[in-house]
Amino acid sequence: MTYRSLAWIAAISLLLMGSFVMAEEKPVIYTVNYPLQYFAQRIAGEQADVTLPVPAGIDPAFWQPDAGTVIAFQQADLVLLNGAGYAKWVSRVSLPRRKLVDTSAGYRDRYLQAEEAVTHSHGREGGHSHSGVAFTTWLDFTLAVEQARAIAAALSRLRPAAKDVFERNFSVLEQDLLALDSQVREIVAVDPDNSLLASHPVYQYFKRRYGLNLTSVMWEPDVAPEAAQWSELRQLLKLHPSNWMVWEGNPNPESVTGLRGLGVDSLVFDPCGNRPVDGDFLSVMQQNVQNLKRAF
Amino acid sequence: MMDSLYIAWKYLSFSKARTATLVACVTLIAVLPLALQLLLAESERQLLSRAESTPLLLGAPGSALDLVMNGLYFDDEVPELISMAAVDAVAASGLATPIPLYVRFKARRFPIVGTTLDYFDFRGLTVTAGRQLALLGECVVGAEVAERLGITAGDSLLSSPETVFDLAGVYPLNMKVAGVLARSHTPDDLAVFVDIKTAWVVQGLVHGHQDVTRTQDAGVIIEQTDDNVIANARLVEYTEINPGNIDSFHFHGTPDDYPLSAVITVPRDEKSATILRGRYLDGDSGYQLVVPGTVIDGLLANIFRIKHMLDAVILVVAVATGLALVLVFALSIRLRQREIQTVFRIGGSRLTIARLLAAEITLIVLVSGVLCAIALLLVHQYSDELVRTLVIR
Repeated sequence: MTYRSLAWIAAISLLLMGSFVMAEEKPVIYTVNYPLQYFAQRIAGEQADVTLPVPAGIDPAFWQPDAGTVIAFQQADLVLLNGAGYAKWVSRVSLPRRKLVDTSAGYRDRYLQAEEAVTHSHGREGGHSHSGVAFTTWLDFTLAVEQARAIAAALSRLRPAAKDVFERNFSVLEQDLLALDSQVREIVAVDPDNSLLASHPVYQYFKRRYGLNLTSVMWEPDVAPEAAQWSELRQLLKLHPSNWMVWEGNPNPESVTGLRGLGVDSLVFDPCGNRPVDGDFLSVMQQNVQNLKRAF
Repeated sequence: MMDSLYIAWKYLSFSKARTATLVACVTLIAVLPLALQLLLAESERQLLSRAESTPLLLGAPGSALDLVMNGLYFDDEVPELISMAAVDAVAASGLATPIPLYVRFKARRFPIVGTTLDYFDFRGLTVTAGRQLALLGECVVGAEVAERLGITAGDSLLSSPETVFDLAGVYPLNMKVAGVLARSHTPDDLAVFVDIKTAWVVQGLVHGHQDVTRTQDAGVIIEQTDDNVIANARLVEYTEINPGNIDSFHFHGTPDDYPLSAVITVPRDEKSATILRGRYLDGDSGYQLVVPGTVIDGLLANIFRIKHMLDAVILVVAVATGLALVLVFALSIRLRQREIQTVFRIGGSRLTIARLLAAEITLIVLVSGVLCAIALLLVHQYSDELVRTLVIR
């Protein structure tokens, strides 16, 4: 056998092996919010199709899928959950347990209770409903790293052959998230006692991680506050004087003007629960960090 | 020979009552042991195949047989309950896939099996009409349930109250039938499957009602503080889950504490199975982990012990019946002395008389044989269902 024949055989073998690898279907991964979709996409790269079926403009935490979408979730190879009571619809549908990955299960003992939760019971002796758990976990970027790590581990279990790729991609993502963590810590270190207001109680983990002096009200960015809400805010400012209100999204101009009248400026720190109109999770968080600088 | 058969046939037709009694005796003696054998073989097949395809079953300490019969064959006897924490513990071990089971309630006499979608993959069950479970409050029914109740995908099925005397109990849940399973010739055909959370809705542990923190109806509130609202029994709970009220369904307490009757435990490999069994060997664990095949083997050993006794009884009865038949024939010959004399007088030999009697016996045995074959064929045809009705449930 000549060297040329051997080369041909080797080339054909490589081609066949290549087409075999190509023929292996990409795993399908469904997620319940955008941060998990972003993390999974960054870690999996081209090795998986990652889907977030929540329509744009809807908060995935309060979305309810129809039966058809639930069936699509059932047929996925992995379903990434945020945990911490995020997306309550998960407890009202049927999903195959073995495909579920609770990305925050590793730090369940560090969950925070939602301050605004009201429990109820049936009769004086009745069982109390479980009070709400705060679920915007990824705003503590070290917890976001933990969630990304859980995703990398789940992907490695699903596709052991690509474990090295997943670990490499996770390392890069981890560096990006830890860089954000350092930046926020540096900003807050300038004035740790700086008093802030939050338009909505979604910053519990962010507040704990970075030691913020932050109090929340229940305002919506796109809805002008009612007279009673303004009155409550004035009372709150007496107890918690502040010059800045942190919003989830761009606030209504009427709210911004009214706040200015009280000496409170507005800044946006978007939790990015759903896909942003522009950019991605990282660019939105980098913009958030820049916005936060204004308050310190 | 044909003459003898013809005369014997005429004689048997004439003495209808005697012939019928003889045929019944011979048929019963032949059918009983053979039918019993068929039914036992079928029960062994059904019990063993289901048990052997279920590697391990986790449950509360107590009767292993009750646990297996409830977990595998959906028997009415509910074992001591365990909690969802057991499922989490198995999953956290990384050694096995846990499949929770909650078999306690019924819908129109059929067991409601609360489980997760993993159960359907594990048993290889597929949906032939409609779709798989998707939303809380839905059920998929076994092929036999659908046939007997005349229901299909899109219909409703009401859960049955545990006891009619529990007037303060939970309202029955009107479940939407999402799909019908393909026939599997197992107890799954006779079950109503729901998501484990829907089973808890049936029990009233998960429920939905108007938002008590926003209600304007002061008549339903006993007491209200900033962080808790106490409602009274006037608060009407929803008896059906639909897109309009599904968001109001909630858990009271921690889901980890919610009840289960058993957990099918599918180990990753033999080594994992051994490690798991070792962990639950300790009586202090609060659980028992059984190998269903071993439990059913023990049950079958008892069944076969009883079968041997029955065989002995049947043998004695057969001998007694045989003797009775001989007596009947002997008496019949004595009673038929005048007929036999007439046969002699018209030229019949002793051999002719013997041939006539032999023809009569042959005809009786033949008719009995045909009846016996028909009876065995029927038993064989319905053995699957007979076993499930008489032996397993």
